[in-house]
Amino acid sequence: MFNQYFGNFLLNKGYISPGQLTDALEYQKSVHLKLGVIAINAGYMTPAQVEEIHNMQKRVDKRFGELAIEKGYINEAQLNEMLATQKQGHLMLGQALIDRKHLTIEQLQEALESYKKESGMSSRQYNVVRKDDTEQIEQVFQNFGETMLGKMYSDYVTLLIKNMIRFIDDAPVVEINQMKSDITAQWYASQEIGGKIDLHTAIACDREQFLILASKFAREEIKEPDELAQASVGEFLNLHNGIFLVNMSNNGVELEMQPQQVKENYTYKNPGKAYIITCHMTWGDFDVIIV
Amino acid sequence: MSNNRPTILICDDSLLVRKQMKDCLAECGDFNVVEASSGQSSIELFRQHNPDLVFLDIVMPDKNGIEALKEMIAIKKDVKVIMLSSSGTRSHLKAAMEAGASDFIQKPWEKSQIEHIVRSLF
Repeated sequence: MFNQYFGNFLLNKGYISPGQLTDALEYQKSVHLKLGVIAINAGYMTPAQVEEIHNMQKRVDKRFGELAIEKGYINEAQLNEMLATQKQGHLMLGQALIDRKHLTIEQLQEALESYKKESGMSSRQYNVVRKDDTEQIEQVFQNFGETMLGKMYSDYVTLLIKNMIRFIDDAPVVEINQMKSDITAQWYASQEIGGKIDLHTAIACDREQFLILASKFAREEIKEPDELAQASVGEFLNLHNGIFLVNMSNNGVELEMQPQQVKENYTYKNPGKAYIITCHMTWGDFDVIIV
Repeated sequence: MSNNRPTILICDDSLLVRKQMKDCLAECGDFNVVEASSGQSSIELFRQHNPDLVFLDIVMPDKNGIEALKEMIAIKKDVKVIMLSSSGTRSHLKAAMEAGASDFIQKPWEKSQIEHIVRSLF
């Protein structure tokens, strides 16, 4: 999930476009993470040193780690750590962006440093914390001033990502923003949750994404936004919310939900404190709204 | 519809769920399948068709599944009602079991779960 966060960061900061991101996400499935990217991320080597080793490799039949140790840029322990990181594959997105020429290695280094700085973490802290996705998402909501409900919102978003992978067969890159104005959507599937906490949840998308989402969840091709398409998107939201309610119930919070509703050409008025979770998929974007 | 085939009532406001359940049941055996899309219509169809088995969602328009379950049990005490819901919260589980549900399946259901229920009954 690190990729979701880092991808989101790169988008927000304008390092890459949504198209470049989805291209890299598609490509990264086949990418091999290179030690140079890991060395830069860990702060062991500069981009220039990595380039130097890459150029040496063109002339000498030696591995990257071997040459980097010979040049005195890293030691054995650092190489072992880097090899372990390579297996974890946390930096696959960065590697994919370089391979697809959407970023240079220098731009990646700058972006990684900036990302760590904004997260308020040193490289070492970052390496530890990045494995805990929920905490990272919670931090996003904390930064929006959600001290009371930040944990619940982050649980909701984490579960959403898991459910996207589970039921839609696709991992989204999520972008979390506060709603700044009213939202008008071609298709708007919503469901109210009530109890100790009242929540408005919704999926807002245009026709094309609505049909793709409906088809993927129903596991059959749906070509028109008919009753079946509406039932499919509504049921995905209902299923996700149901699992969320079960999780909340297991933590001692009983909530109830209302039947889901699907509307065409609907405008949702900004209630003041709402969040838009934009899901960047390989097939387009759609928004999840939580209030 | 033939009278010697078991009748199964599917109650869910989602057309997709009803469709997938019907497809699944068609693979499990030969049944009369009746569909209801709301709590209120589920009671009307229950009275009309006297089903042998009911799959009942909880979150539905008009009347929720727990209320519908109570009415169904009042009409036919020994009817088999399987609650089928995405919202298997503790309070829903407790309410469903107290009201006389035979089982509770958390969505998303697996075909094998439906098969197991159907084959054990018919």
